Amino acid sequence: MEQQQMIHQYLNTLQRYLARLSPAEAKEVIREIESHIFDLIEQREAAGQQADAATILQGFGEPRQLAEQYVAHMTDGAPPPLGFRAIQRVKHGVTASLYYGMAVFGFMTSFCLLFLAGAKLITPDAVGVWAMSEGNSLTIAFLAEPFPPEQELLGMALVPVAIVLGLALMWLTRRVLAVLKNHLYTRHP
Amino acid sequence: MTTDDKTQEKWEVQLRKGSLELVILAALQHRTLYGLELLKVLQSFKSTAITEGTLYPLLDRLKREQLLDAQWVQEGDIRPRKYYSLTAAGLTKLGDLTSLWRQSVQDIEYLLAHPGPDPIKVTGA
Repeated sequence: MEQQQMIHQYLNTLQRYLARLSPAEAKEVIREIESHIFDLIEQREAAGQQADAATILQGFGEPRQLAEQYVAHMTDGAPPPLGFRAIQRVKHGVTASLYYGMAVFGFMTSFCLLFLAGAKLITPDAVGVWAMSEGNSLTIAFLAEPFPPEQELLGMALVPVAIVLGLALMWLTRRVLAVLKNHLYTRHP
Repeated sequence: MTTDDKTQEKWEVQLRKGSLELVILAALQHRTLYGLELLKVLQSFKSTAITEGTLYPLLDRLKREQLLDAQWVQEGDIRPRKYYSLTAAGLTKLGDLTSLWRQSVQDIEYLLAHPGPDPIKVTGA
């Protein structure tokens, strides 16, 4: 049934925009609006009128704008006064650059680690981790003239270590990005 | 639409917005209503006609401010409905807003009833 589908879609979209609320709060909002819509449809049908979902939904406005009103107290305490919207925009910018910065940094580092593991497998003598300056610094390097093997810290164990670190970092980056994205999404999808 | 009509409509919107909290508290005075019921009451008056999209978030805010109490009630086969009523704080707030409203109406009425060129009586400051 097309009407049902339209209502469903509206409520689903609304729920997505309500992501900032606790699940219980969001559910409460959806439940009340759902109850209102179906109540109204039943009443109209009982009165022999045509119940048009689109007209009813129009009264609620765009899901995003409706959700914003429910979420406003969480994001700002109160909507910012006129002229202060620039601050909001800066906050958005920071969140967006944080998101992309995090993505680039996390994935680059993780790919480097995986690449290191691969390189160690292909040219074991030229790639490794060495302790320098009497253990005060650590060097990861590709060398034309390898250090004596006994000074190398990990040897072939570098391969599994780098793979595990690389994968773990990739997983961590994705988790952090998911959280950041959620916040980005509710602010300006 | 002429500019005059637009200005008038703007003023109407502002007035409605400003008095909305009082309107909702007044509608719920010694009365328990669910959202749709309240909406129909408000839409039956020319100056208080608002949409669902305005009403529900406002009810949510008033509830969060503990001016309203809300309860889900299911009667027989009908789907459950969320009923709103005033809390003690809501009733007090209604009293405060009512005095402000009446004062405002009284002041404006006074000005309207005393046109020039006679000087207007200025009291206080």
